[in-house]
Amino acid sequence: MSSGGIKTEPFILNIGPQHPSTHGVFRVKATVDGERVIDAEMVMGYLHRSMEKLAEERTYTQNIPFTDRTDYLSSMSNNLGYCLAVERLAGVDVPARGNAIRVIMAEFQRLASHSMAIGTFVNDTGAWQTPVMWSLREREYILDLFEMTSGARLTCNYMRIGGVSFDLPKEFEPAARKVLARLKPYLDEMEGMLTENEIFIVRTRNVGVLPQELAINSSASGPMLRGSGVAWDIRKAEPYCGYEKYDFEIPIGYQGDSFDRFLVRLEEMRQSVKIIEQALDGLPGGPHSTQVPLAIRPPKGEVYGRVESPRGELGYYLVSDEGPSPYRFHIRPPALINLSALKAMTVGGTIADAIVVLGSIDIVLGEVDR
Amino acid sequence: MTTLRWTGEQVASVAERLVPGSVSRYDSVACYLKPEKLVQTMEALRTDAETDFVQLTSLCGVDFWDHFEVVYHLQSFVKNQFATVKTEAWDRENTSVPSVVPVWFGAWMQECEAYDLLGIRFEGHPNLHRIFLWEGYPGWPLRKDFLSMPGGLMPGLQEFSGIARRVPPPVKVVE
Repeated sequence: MSSGGIKTEPFILNIGPQHPSTHGVFRVKATVDGERVIDAEMVMGYLHRSMEKLAEERTYTQNIPFTDRTDYLSSMSNNLGYCLAVERLAGVDVPARGNAIRVIMAEFQRLASHSMAIGTFVNDTGAWQTPVMWSLREREYILDLFEMTSGARLTCNYMRIGGVSFDLPKEFEPAARKVLARLKPYLDEMEGMLTENEIFIVRTRNVGVLPQELAINSSASGPMLRGSGVAWDIRKAEPYCGYEKYDFEIPIGYQGDSFDRFLVRLEEMRQSVKIIEQALDGLPGGPHSTQVPLAIRPPKGEVYGRVESPRGELGYYLVSDEGPSPYRFHIRPPALINLSALKAMTVGGTIADAIVVLGSIDIVLGEVDR
Repeated sequence: MTTLRWTGEQVASVAERLVPGSVSRYDSVACYLKPEKLVQTMEALRTDAETDFVQLTSLCGVDFWDHFEVVYHLQSFVKNQFATVKTEAWDRENTSVPSVVPVWFGAWMQECEAYDLLGIRFEGHPNLHRIFLWEGYPGWPLRKDFLSMPGGLMPGLQEFSGIARRVPPPVKVVE
């Protein structure tokens, strides 16, 4: 190969597995020709804990903590997806208060996860430290709310089949409103700092473009799909937990590049704030959970339950043989499937762009490898 | 408005119209396609205006001792509908079904995952390899008989005879 008369030859550059910009233990074998990436091979499995096999040996209730550990940055959403799937399979109803609490928690989790995603993404573009520190600071306040409610900050294990494990403490609502009041200026601040920042735009505009057709065909979901201009959100398309009652919008991007995915996440955070405010205003009374036997035995059958997790469509495919534990427990991991298009997005760009693309996908390796 | 989840019967009638002779059977949830017509039928389901299943949401395999099922969840954005399609593989030694990567690129990683953990070969996959475990790993972990596979045992687990809680059903003769 030659470029500009100078003879060059491709060589393999190894990124990861332990590298800050891979956001975990993930390895990309990039074949580069000079500064251009001409091939990218993904190597994963460093964090494989065989969750699906383990779950087949445990009862439905015992599996809830596993779902925390798949995607450790959005444990509430993972709990919710699993519990919804089991409820759908077993035909369990959730009381109105339980549903409202679930919505509040899932949206706070989306705020926490997206603020982490934005912070690390901006870190990857080279804006060293300041944005990620601001993001982590705001996330801490949300994690404090989780600690107040469930006793844990990251792996909350809060949802239960039939509702949630504890009712909200009476200090929760004022504390939550205080956090929301903090978040609005923070979002404005991030927007002011980044969306019109020339360096940030140069680093992300037209980098890692995912065309709409490829986004659909490669099973992308969540901000990846919406960044490419498909207005698809499970919360609107197949509402669960009473999402149809709340007024919110689905932000979409138009070019499908890294910058659009960043904008979609930022706007989704605003929408989440809006949803939480509505849910707090109309928080119904009554029980927070229905009584469900601990060793629940759903009828024979199968179910595919799905929620919109911060990373995209999180699906749980469960097969029951009327036993106390699932016969088959399959997680549809949005982070793994969003990675499918990584090669298409990185090839042709520079190595520095590949890092930005990886950051904009927002992978969590616990979920990729399970 | 919520997603319209198609029953197996609905999918079967459309699939039979698009590709005659493609459906082997159906139940309340899913439509079972014959492996030899799988790719052709999937392509038809993707492009047909009535079905419009432009995205393969999820793909996974299930071990039922005597056979394997590969489960495909399809969805359409414009029509907001959802369908479950399955296909079966009866050979436990050389388990294989056709790959749907030519139809949906998104099947790539998920087929690798099903191959890695269940040992289902997807014929026609451009680069089928073990993505989580290493090449040469003994056995297929998500198979129900994994603990009794040669070399598939975790050290020390042989002593616990009751560890494989699910015992295989009596062998069924398949015509």
